[in-house]
Amino acid sequence: MTILVFTLILLAGAYAAGLLGSLTGLGGGVIVIPLLTLVFHIDFRYAIGAALVASIATSSGSASAYVKEGMTNIRLGMFLEIATSIGAVTGAVIALWMPTNTIAVIFGLVLILTAVMQQRQSADHEHVKGSNLARKLKLFGTYPTKEGNQSYELTHVTGGFLTMIVAGILSGLLGIGSGVLKVLAMDNFMKVPFKVSTTTSNFMIGVTAVTSAVVYLQRGYIEPGIAFPIMVGVLGGALTGTQLLKRLNVSLLRKIFAIAILLVAINMIYNGFAGKF
Amino acid sequence: MALPVNSDKMKEKNNKSQTDMRELIGNTLRIGVVTACTIALISGMYYLIRHGGEMVPDYTVFRKEPASFTSIHGIFGGLTSLAAKDWIQLGVLVLMLTPILRVALSLIDFAHQRDWLYVVITAIVFIVILMNSIVGVG
Repeated sequence: MTILVFTLILLAGAYAAGLLGSLTGLGGGVIVIPLLTLVFHIDFRYAIGAALVASIATSSGSASAYVKEGMTNIRLGMFLEIATSIGAVTGAVIALWMPTNTIAVIFGLVLILTAVMQQRQSADHEHVKGSNLARKLKLFGTYPTKEGNQSYELTHVTGGFLTMIVAGILSGLLGIGSGVLKVLAMDNFMKVPFKVSTTTSNFMIGVTAVTSAVVYLQRGYIEPGIAFPIMVGVLGGALTGTQLLKRLNVSLLRKIFAIAILLVAINMIYNGFAGKF
Repeated sequence: MALPVNSDKMKEKNNKSQTDMRELIGNTLRIGVVTACTIALISGMYYLIRHGGEMVPDYTVFRKEPASFTSIHGIFGGLTSLAAKDWIQLGVLVLMLTPILRVALSLIDFAHQRDWLYVVITAIVFIVILMNSIVGVG
Protein backbone atom coordinates (compact mmCIF):
# COMPACT_ATOMS: atom_id res chain seq x y z
CA MET A 1 0.00 0.00 0.00
CA THR A 2 1.32 3.45 -0.82
CA ILE A 3 1.35 6.28 1.72
CA LEU A 4 -1.27 8.17 -0.33
CA VAL A 5 -3.79 5.28 -0.26
CA PHE A 6 -3.09 4.57 3.42
CA THR A 7 -3.60 8.22 4.37
CA LEU A 8 -6.87 8.50 2.44
CA ILE A 9 -8.30 5.33 4.01
CA LEU A 10 -7.21 6.54 7.46
CA LEU A 11 -8.77 9.94 6.79
CA ALA A 12 -12.11 8.35 5.87
CA GLY A 13 -11.98 6.07 8.93
CA ALA A 14 -11.12 8.99 11.21
CA TYR A 15 -13.98 11.04 9.74
CA ALA A 16 -16.41 8.21 10.52
CA ALA A 17 -14.95 7.89 14.03
CA GLY A 18 -15.36 11.61 14.68
CA LEU A 19 -18.92 11.57 13.33
CA LEU A 20 -19.95 8.57 15.45
CA GLY A 21 -18.11 9.90 18.50
CA SER A 22 -20.00 13.15 18.29
CA LEU A 23 -23.43 11.62 17.53
CA THR A 24 -23.19 9.11 20.37
CA GLY A 25 -21.39 11.43 22.80
CA LEU A 26 -18.48 9.04 23.26
CA GLY A 27 -15.73 11.26 21.88
CA GLY A 28 -13.26 10.46 19.12
CA GLY A 29 -10.51 8.69 21.07
CA VAL A 30 -12.60 5.71 22.13
CA ILE A 31 -13.30 4.82 18.48
CA VAL A 32 -9.88 5.73 17.06
CA ILE A 33 -8.02 3.10 19.12
CA PRO A 34 -10.00 0.02 17.97
CA LEU A 35 -10.01 1.42 14.44
CA LEU A 36 -6.22 1.68 14.33
CA THR A 37 -5.38 -1.50 16.24
CA LEU A 38 -8.09 -3.97 15.20
CA VAL A 39 -8.68 -2.79 11.62
CA PHE A 40 -5.26 -1.48 10.57
CA HIS A 41 -3.13 -3.61 12.97
CA ILE A 42 -1.14 -0.53 13.91
CA ASP A 43 0.93 -0.81 17.10
CA PHE A 44 -1.05 0.07 20.24
CA ARG A 45 1.39 2.83 21.17
CA TYR A 46 0.91 4.72 17.89
CA ALA A 47 -2.85 4.30 18.36
CA ILE A 48 -2.67 5.85 21.85
CA GLY A 49 -0.67 8.80 20.48
CA ALA A 50 -3.16 9.39 17.66
CA ALA A 51 -6.16 9.06 20.01
CA LEU A 52 -4.69 11.68 22.34
CA VAL A 53 -4.29 14.13 19.47
CA ALA A 54 -7.89 13.42 18.39
CA SER A 55 -9.15 13.92 21.98
CA ILE A 56 -7.44 17.30 22.36
CA ALA A 57 -8.78 18.50 19.00
CA THR A 58 -12.42 17.49 19.53
CA SER A 59 -12.49 18.56 23.18
CA SER A 60 -11.09 22.04 22.53
CA GLY A 61 -13.22 22.48 19.42
CA SER A 62 -16.54 21.72 21.08
CA ALA A 63 -15.68 23.22 24.49
CA SER A 64 -15.25 26.58 22.78
CA ALA A 65 -18.98 26.96 22.11
CA TYR A 66 -20.15 25.69 25.53
CA VAL A 67 -17.79 27.99 27.43
CA LYS A 68 -19.20 31.01 25.60
CA GLU A 69 -22.79 29.99 26.37
CA GLY A 70 -21.89 29.82 30.07
CA MET A 71 -22.85 26.14 30.32
CA THR A 72 -19.39 25.07 31.55
CA ASN A 73 -18.51 25.44 35.24
CA ILE A 74 -14.95 26.71 34.84
CA ARG A 75 -14.11 26.67 38.58
CA LEU A 76 -15.35 23.10 38.95
CA GLY A 77 -13.33 22.10 35.87
CA MET A 78 -10.19 23.81 37.13
CA PHE A 79 -10.46 22.26 40.59
CA LEU A 80 -11.01 18.74 39.27
CA GLU A 81 -8.20 19.14 36.75
CA ILE A 82 -5.79 18.88 39.69
CA ALA A 83 -7.06 15.31 40.08
CA THR A 84 -7.11 14.42 36.39
CA SER A 85 -3.69 15.89 35.59
CA ILE A 86 -2.01 14.14 38.53
CA GLY A 87 -3.84 10.96 37.49
CA ALA A 88 -2.70 11.40 33.88
CA VAL A 89 0.96 11.65 34.96
CA THR A 90 0.52 8.48 37.02
CA GLY A 91 -1.14 6.71 34.08
CA ALA A 92 1.67 7.67 31.72
CA VAL A 93 4.22 6.27 34.20
CA ILE A 94 2.27 3.02 34.62
CA ALA A 95 2.08 2.68 30.82
CA LEU A 96 5.89 2.52 30.76
CA TRP A 97 6.05 -0.91 32.37
CA MET A 98 2.60 -2.31 31.69
CA PRO A 99 2.49 -4.72 28.70
CA THR A 100 0.33 -3.48 25.79
CA ASN A 101 -1.81 -6.62 26.01
CA THR A 102 -2.84 -5.71 29.57
CA ILE A 103 -3.56 -2.15 28.42
CA ALA A 104 -5.79 -3.60 25.67
CA VAL A 105 -7.77 -5.62 28.25
CA ILE A 106 -8.25 -2.53 30.45
CA PHE A 107 -9.35 -0.59 27.38
CA GLY A 108 -11.95 -3.29 26.66
CA LEU A 109 -13.30 -3.00 30.20
CA VAL A 110 -13.56 0.79 29.90
CA LEU A 111 -15.46 0.30 26.62
CA ILE A 112 -17.98 -1.95 28.40
CA LEU A 113 -18.45 0.67 31.13
CA THR A 114 -18.94 3.27 28.39
CA ALA A 115 -21.63 1.21 26.66
CA VAL A 116 -23.48 0.60 29.92
CA MET A 117 -23.31 4.26 30.99
CA GLN A 118 -24.69 5.29 27.59
CA GLN A 119 -28.02 3.66 28.39
CA ARG A 120 -28.63 5.67 31.54
CA GLN A 121 -31.18 8.43 31.82
CA SER A 122 -29.81 11.90 32.29
CA ALA A 123 -30.78 13.65 35.52
CA ASP A 124 -30.90 17.35 36.30
CA HIS A 125 -30.58 16.91 40.08
CA GLU A 126 -32.86 19.71 41.18
CA HIS A 127 -32.94 20.94 44.81
CA VAL A 128 -29.58 19.47 45.74
CA LYS A 129 -28.36 20.67 49.14
CA GLY A 130 -24.73 21.63 48.59
CA SER A 131 -21.98 20.56 50.97
CA ASN A 132 -19.82 22.94 52.99
CA LEU A 133 -16.65 21.99 51.16
CA ALA A 134 -18.29 22.70 47.81
CA ARG A 135 -19.42 26.09 49.13
CA LYS A 136 -15.93 26.94 50.38
CA LEU A 137 -14.49 26.00 47.00
CA LYS A 138 -17.07 28.24 45.28
CA LEU A 139 -18.23 25.38 43.08
CA PHE A 140 -21.92 26.33 42.93
CA GLY A 141 -23.02 27.90 39.67
CA THR A 142 -25.74 28.71 37.21
CA TYR A 143 -26.45 27.47 33.73
CA PRO A 144 -28.69 28.77 30.94
CA THR A 145 -32.00 26.98 30.30
CA LYS A 146 -35.01 27.92 28.21
CA GLU A 147 -36.57 29.50 31.32
CA GLY A 148 -33.53 31.62 32.09
CA ASN A 149 -30.52 30.97 34.30
CA GLN A 150 -30.90 28.03 36.65
CA SER A 151 -28.70 27.96 39.75
CA TYR A 152 -27.47 24.70 41.28
CA GLU A 153 -25.51 23.38 44.24
CA LEU A 154 -23.39 20.27 44.48
CA THR A 155 -22.05 17.83 47.03
CA HIS A 156 -19.61 14.88 47.66
CA VAL A 157 -16.54 16.79 46.51
CA THR A 158 -14.10 14.19 47.87
CA GLY A 159 -15.77 11.25 46.13
CA GLY A 160 -15.87 13.18 42.87
CA PHE A 161 -12.22 14.18 43.23
CA LEU A 162 -11.09 10.59 43.83
CA THR A 163 -13.06 9.31 40.83
CA MET A 164 -11.39 12.02 38.77
CA ILE A 165 -7.96 10.68 39.75
CA VAL A 166 -8.99 7.28 38.34
CA ALA A 167 -10.32 9.02 35.21
CA GLY A 168 -6.96 10.76 34.85
CA ILE A 169 -5.00 7.50 35.27
CA LEU A 170 -7.09 5.77 32.59
CA SER A 171 -6.71 8.77 30.34
CA GLY A 172 -2.93 8.70 30.69
CA LEU A 173 -2.79 4.94 30.25
CA LEU A 174 -5.15 4.60 27.28
CA GLY A 175 -4.92 7.95 25.52
CA ILE A 176 -8.65 8.57 25.74
CA GLY A 177 -10.50 11.51 27.29
CA SER A 178 -12.28 9.26 29.87
CA GLY A 179 -15.37 11.39 29.41
CA VAL A 180 -17.52 8.57 30.81
CA LEU A 181 -15.74 8.51 34.16
CA LYS A 182 -15.67 12.29 34.33
CA VAL A 183 -19.42 12.47 33.83
CA LEU A 184 -19.85 9.62 36.34
CA ALA A 185 -17.89 11.61 38.94
CA MET A 186 -19.82 14.84 38.44
CA ASP A 187 -23.29 13.51 37.64
CA ASN A 188 -23.52 10.49 39.98
CA PHE A 189 -21.34 11.60 42.89
CA MET A 190 -21.43 15.36 42.97
CA LYS A 191 -25.02 15.71 41.67
CA VAL A 192 -24.09 18.29 39.06
CA PRO A 193 -26.84 18.87 36.44
CA PHE A 194 -26.31 16.60 33.44
CA LYS A 195 -25.65 19.30 30.87
CA VAL A 196 -23.13 21.00 33.14
CA SER A 197 -21.44 17.61 33.78
CA THR A 198 -21.04 16.77 30.11
CA THR A 199 -19.84 20.20 29.01
CA THR A 200 -17.46 20.58 31.96
CA SER A 201 -16.12 17.08 31.26
CA ASN A 202 -15.53 18.11 27.66
CA PHE A 203 -13.81 21.27 28.81
CA MET A 204 -11.47 19.23 31.04
CA ILE A 205 -10.56 16.56 28.49
CA GLY A 206 -8.18 18.86 26.58
CA VAL A 207 -6.05 19.55 29.68
CA THR A 208 -6.11 15.91 30.85
CA ALA A 209 -5.10 14.67 27.41
CA VAL A 210 -2.36 17.24 26.98
CA THR A 211 -0.81 16.27 30.34
CA SER A 212 -0.15 12.75 29.05
CA ALA A 213 0.46 13.90 25.46
CA VAL A 214 3.55 15.89 26.48
CA VAL A 215 5.01 12.63 27.80
CA TYR A 216 3.95 10.51 24.84
CA LEU A 217 5.27 13.04 22.33
CA GLN A 218 8.71 12.66 23.88
CA ARG A 219 8.40 8.87 23.91
CA GLY A 220 7.68 8.87 20.19
CA TYR A 221 4.05 7.63 20.37
CA ILE A 222 2.85 10.49 18.17
CA GLU A 223 3.79 9.53 14.60
CA PRO A 224 3.14 12.42 12.17
CA GLY A 225 2.10 10.12 9.31
CA ILE A 226 -0.74 8.72 11.45
CA ALA A 227 -1.51 11.79 13.58
CA PHE A 228 -2.21 14.08 10.63
CA PRO A 229 -5.06 12.13 8.94
CA ILE A 230 -6.53 11.24 12.37
CA MET A 231 -6.52 14.82 13.63
CA VAL A 232 -8.03 16.30 10.46
CA GLY A 233 -10.50 13.44 9.91
CA VAL A 234 -11.83 13.20 13.48
CA LEU A 235 -12.28 16.95 13.77
CA GLY A 236 -14.10 17.10 10.42
CA GLY A 237 -16.37 14.23 11.47
CA ALA A 238 -17.08 15.84 14.84
CA LEU A 239 -18.08 19.11 13.16
CA THR A 240 -20.50 17.29 10.85
CA GLY A 241 -21.85 15.39 13.85
CA THR A 242 -22.63 18.57 15.78
CA GLN A 243 -24.61 19.87 12.81
CA LEU A 244 -26.51 16.57 12.39
CA LEU A 245 -27.31 16.37 16.11
CA LYS A 246 -29.57 19.39 15.80
CA ARG A 247 -31.80 17.57 13.32
CA LEU A 248 -31.49 13.85 14.08
CA ASN A 249 -33.00 11.74 16.80
CA VAL A 250 -30.04 9.64 17.85
CA SER A 251 -31.56 7.41 20.54
CA LEU A 252 -31.85 4.39 18.20
CA LEU A 253 -28.35 5.01 16.86
CA ARG A 254 -27.03 5.09 20.43
CA LYS A 255 -28.64 1.72 21.22
CA ILE A 256 -27.22 0.08 18.09
CA PHE A 257 -23.88 1.62 18.79
CA ALA A 258 -23.82 0.39 22.39
CA ILE A 259 -24.05 -3.17 21.08
CA ALA A 260 -21.29 -2.52 18.53
CA ILE A 261 -19.09 -1.11 21.31
CA LEU A 262 -19.69 -4.23 23.42
CA LEU A 263 -18.58 -6.45 20.51
CA VAL A 264 -15.45 -4.36 20.00
CA ALA A 265 -14.77 -4.55 23.74
CA ILE A 266 -15.00 -8.34 23.75
CA ASN A 267 -12.70 -8.44 20.73
CA MET A 268 -10.18 -6.19 22.50
CA ILE A 269 -10.23 -8.25 25.68
CA TYR A 270 -9.94 -11.54 23.77
CA ASN A 271 -7.02 -10.28 21.68
CA GLY A 272 -5.38 -8.89 24.80
CA PHE A 273 -5.56 -12.22 26.61
CA ALA A 274 -4.38 -14.00 23.46
CA GLY A 275 -1.34 -11.72 23.42
CA LYS A 276 -2.00 -10.34 19.95
CA PHE A 277 -0.94 -6.72 20.59
CA MET B 1 -29.40 53.50 50.09
CA ALA B 2 -26.06 53.98 48.48
CA LEU B 3 -24.83 50.55 49.42
CA PRO B 4 -27.18 48.30 47.39
CA VAL B 5 -26.74 50.42 44.29
CA ASN B 6 -23.03 50.16 44.68
CA SER B 7 -23.08 46.38 45.12
CA ASP B 8 -25.37 46.03 42.11
CA LYS B 9 -22.87 47.94 40.06
CA MET B 10 -20.08 45.74 41.29
CA LYS B 11 -22.07 42.66 40.47
CA GLU B 12 -22.72 43.97 36.99
CA LYS B 13 -19.04 44.71 36.51
CA ASN B 14 -18.17 41.25 37.76
CA ASN B 15 -20.67 39.64 35.40
CA LYS B 16 -19.28 41.59 32.49
CA SER B 17 -15.70 40.53 33.24
CA GLN B 18 -16.90 36.92 33.50
CA THR B 19 -18.59 37.11 30.11
CA ASP B 20 -15.48 38.71 28.62
CA MET B 21 -13.33 35.93 30.03
CA ARG B 22 -15.63 33.24 28.66
CA GLU B 23 -15.39 34.89 25.25
CA LEU B 24 -11.60 35.01 25.49
CA ILE B 25 -11.24 31.37 26.58
CA GLY B 26 -13.75 30.21 23.96
CA ASN B 27 -11.99 32.11 21.21
CA THR B 28 -8.54 30.89 22.30
CA LEU B 29 -9.71 27.29 22.08
CA ARG B 30 -11.28 27.77 18.67
CA ILE B 31 -8.43 29.73 17.12
CA GLY B 32 -5.88 27.23 18.52
CA VAL B 33 -7.65 24.23 17.02
CA VAL B 34 -8.23 25.92 13.66
CA THR B 35 -4.58 27.04 13.44
CA ALA B 36 -3.27 23.60 14.41
CA CYS B 37 -5.50 21.86 11.89
CA THR B 38 -4.60 24.26 9.10
CA ILE B 39 -0.88 23.69 9.71
CA ALA B 40 -1.39 19.91 9.85
CA LEU B 41 -3.55 19.89 6.72
CA ILE B 42 -1.18 21.98 4.59
CA SER B 43 1.94 20.12 5.77
CA GLY B 44 0.05 16.85 5.35
CA MET B 45 -0.65 17.64 1.72
CA TYR B 46 2.97 18.62 1.23
CA TYR B 47 3.97 15.29 2.85
CA LEU B 48 1.67 13.41 0.45
CA ILE B 49 3.08 15.24 -2.57
CA ARG B 50 6.64 14.45 -1.51
CA HIS B 51 6.13 10.91 -0.22
CA GLY B 52 2.63 9.81 -1.32
CA GLY B 53 3.96 7.28 -3.82
CA GLU B 54 6.25 5.52 -1.35
CA MET B 55 5.24 2.37 0.50
CA VAL B 56 3.73 2.73 3.99
CA PRO B 57 6.28 2.30 6.80
CA ASP B 58 5.63 -0.73 8.99
CA TYR B 59 3.44 0.80 11.70
CA THR B 60 2.61 -2.63 13.13
CA VAL B 61 5.92 -2.46 14.96
CA PHE B 62 6.72 0.38 17.34
CA ARG B 63 10.02 2.16 16.82
CA LYS B 64 11.11 5.13 18.82
CA GLU B 65 10.77 8.21 16.62
CA PRO B 66 13.93 10.08 15.69
CA ALA B 67 14.59 12.98 18.05
CA SER B 68 13.44 15.44 15.43
CA PHE B 69 9.76 14.55 16.07
CA THR B 70 9.92 14.12 19.80
CA SER B 71 11.58 17.27 21.09
CA ILE B 72 10.70 20.90 20.59
CA HIS B 73 14.29 21.60 19.60
CA GLY B 74 14.17 18.79 17.05
CA ILE B 75 10.86 19.88 15.56
CA PHE B 76 12.00 23.46 15.08
CA GLY B 77 15.30 22.24 13.63
CA GLY B 78 13.35 20.17 11.12
CA LEU B 79 11.26 23.15 10.01
CA THR B 80 14.26 24.86 8.44
CA SER B 81 15.15 21.73 6.50
CA LEU B 82 11.58 21.68 5.09
CA ALA B 83 10.89 18.14 6.33
CA ALA B 84 7.14 17.62 5.86
CA LYS B 85 6.75 15.42 8.95
CA ASP B 86 8.31 18.08 11.18
CA TRP B 87 5.79 20.60 9.90
CA ILE B 88 2.97 18.20 10.78
CA GLN B 89 4.46 17.87 14.27
CA LEU B 90 4.40 21.66 14.55
CA GLY B 91 0.63 21.45 14.02
CA VAL B 92 0.43 18.83 16.80
CA LEU B 93 2.50 21.14 19.02
CA VAL B 94 0.18 24.10 18.41
CA LEU B 95 -2.77 21.84 19.23
CA MET B 96 -1.13 20.79 22.50
CA LEU B 97 -0.38 24.40 23.40
CA THR B 98 -4.07 25.34 23.07
CA PRO B 99 -5.36 23.85 26.38
CA ILE B 100 -2.14 24.91 28.13
CA LEU B 101 -2.73 28.48 27.00
CA ARG B 102 -6.31 28.19 28.26
CA VAL B 103 -5.02 27.26 31.73
CA ALA B 104 -2.61 30.22 31.67
CA LEU B 105 -5.44 32.59 30.72
CA SER B 106 -7.60 31.29 33.59
CA LEU B 107 -4.69 31.91 35.94
CA ILE B 108 -4.46 35.55 34.85
CA ASP B 109 -8.22 35.93 35.11
CA PHE B 110 -8.44 34.53 38.64
CA ALA B 111 -5.58 36.82 39.69
CA HIS B 112 -7.46 39.74 38.16
CA GLN B 113 -10.56 38.78 40.19
CA ARG B 114 -8.32 38.47 43.30
CA ASP B 115 -9.59 34.93 43.77
CA TRP B 116 -6.38 33.63 45.35
CA LEU B 117 -7.77 30.17 46.12
CA TYR B 118 -8.29 29.60 42.40
CA VAL B 119 -4.99 31.21 41.51
CA VAL B 120 -3.34 28.49 43.60
CA ILE B 121 -5.55 25.71 42.16
CA THR B 122 -4.86 26.79 38.58
CA ALA B 123 -1.15 27.20 39.30
CA ILE B 124 -0.97 23.59 40.57
CA VAL B 125 -2.49 22.29 37.31
CA PHE B 126 -0.15 24.48 35.29
CA ILE B 127 2.93 23.30 37.20
CA VAL B 128 1.95 19.61 36.82
CA ILE B 129 1.72 20.00 33.02
CA LEU B 130 4.95 22.01 32.89
CA MET B 131 6.95 19.58 35.04
CA ASN B 132 5.61 16.73 32.99
CA SER B 133 6.77 18.27 29.73
CA ILE B 134 10.22 19.04 31.09
CA VAL B 135 10.89 15.80 32.95
CA GLY B 136 9.09 13.69 30.36
CA VAL B 137 8.82 10.65 32.70
CA GLY B 138 10.92 8.21 30.69
